[in-house]
Amino acid sequence: MSRTNVIALLIFGAILGYFLSFGPETTQKFKAGVYRLLAPFLTGGSGIKKQITSVRSGLKSLDQLEHETATLQVENRELRATNQALRDVEHEVNRLRHALNYRERSVFKLVPTEVIARDSSSWWRTLTINRGKRDAIETDMPVVTDVGLVGKTTTVSETISVVLLISDESCRVAASVEGSREQGIVSGERVTSGLTPVLDLNFLSKQADLKPGQKVYTSGVGGVFPSGLLIGVVKSFRVRALDGQAQLTPAVDLSHLEDLFVVTGRR
Amino acid sequence: MIFFACLLLLVLVAQITELLIPALPWLYNAHVYIVPVIVFYGAMALPFPLMLALALFAGVLLDALTVQVIGGKVEISAGSSILLYGVLAGIMHGLRPLFARGHWEVHCILSGVFTSLIVLAQYLMITFRRGSLVFTPEIWWQIAGPGLIAMAIAPVFFWGLQWLSRMTAYSYSPERGQLE
Repeated sequence: MSRTNVIALLIFGAILGYFLSFGPETTQKFKAGVYRLLAPFLTGGSGIKKQITSVRSGLKSLDQLEHETATLQVENRELRATNQALRDVEHEVNRLRHALNYRERSVFKLVPTEVIARDSSSWWRTLTINRGKRDAIETDMPVVTDVGLVGKTTTVSETISVVLLISDESCRVAASVEGSREQGIVSGERVTSGLTPVLDLNFLSKQADLKPGQKVYTSGVGGVFPSGLLIGVVKSFRVRALDGQAQLTPAVDLSHLEDLFVVTGRR
Repeated sequence: MIFFACLLLLVLVAQITELLIPALPWLYNAHVYIVPVIVFYGAMALPFPLMLALALFAGVLLDALTVQVIGGKVEISAGSSILLYGVLAGIMHGLRPLFARGHWEVHCILSGVFTSLIVLAQYLMITFRRGSLVFTPEIWWQIAGPGLIAMAIAPVFFWGLQWLSRMTAYSYSPERGQLE
């Protein structure tokens, strides 16, 4: 091995050693720093992705129009395009109106936010939102929609933050079951095979006998999630050797998230 | 050096693109990994010090985007991706003579295998932290899926990167281990 290669290997080893020596706090700062650098690219990329999706839907309309008669083709294309654009606007207005209503009637202080990227790796269920320290967002703040709980913030940089979804195995939420005194811990599963993840409600009593359809809310124990946020509904219940376990369907469709709210406190 | 700078830029763009590509529901939610393909091409095309620099850059990016600090605990240590990329790119670097003779197929297959190895290593690390070593068919697909996708896209990427190296007038003699 040449001297240049040995020196390169030593430098590589030294940098590697430096990174391996990071503690949780330094790692968090390192992550936040890289996210701060990547924020403009991520936000820009998210915008481009939306435009591409919009162009694709436009092309679908064109395909349909090809079957129309030759004389009406041009006029029809214009009308369809206008109609599609208006529908998009209508959909967005409805979505935002819905979100605004929720924000106004909520007992929490909410910061509205938009999803810009999701699931950065195979083993964590995360997404990236376009709000950060600049908007008073901190680590371990609950993230919700008007329907229910979504997750909590983990890494927070100046303008973007990472949200750990409740469907992740390492996101644990203290929960209580509607119409019973049962309390347990909700967590996600390591891997989900379908689009809709399933949540596990563990540490219930063996006598719990939960029925499908019963709602599960945050209990407020633990300090991260305030009480009363809907997590999901019971899908099934089984008795294990030491406790009872229920499987839940999340209240929020975690695979189609667009507009979220970060809970920064109570009003 | 222009070609090396292009590879660095491509790694950055690919890493951001990966974040915007959704997981594939028809393949057990497997993710599409583009960066390893570029890094492994670089491992074959670049001299040893630049190969290490590329692996370092890709590792830092992957660490920053995947390492999660949850409840004050780090699940995968920062630096682990740098180590993985360094070792795997080093192995790929050793197979350069084969690549120089035009045998791309071995490297395309290895790119897929090594991509799966990165995902497997991540899984083993989080399993070590969380406990309960579980291997369901879904988990195997989550590990094998990215590798199969990388294997499928590798020829296209290799061809594109080969074209880029010609455009930037880059040439490297693997036998002599020097930039010409």
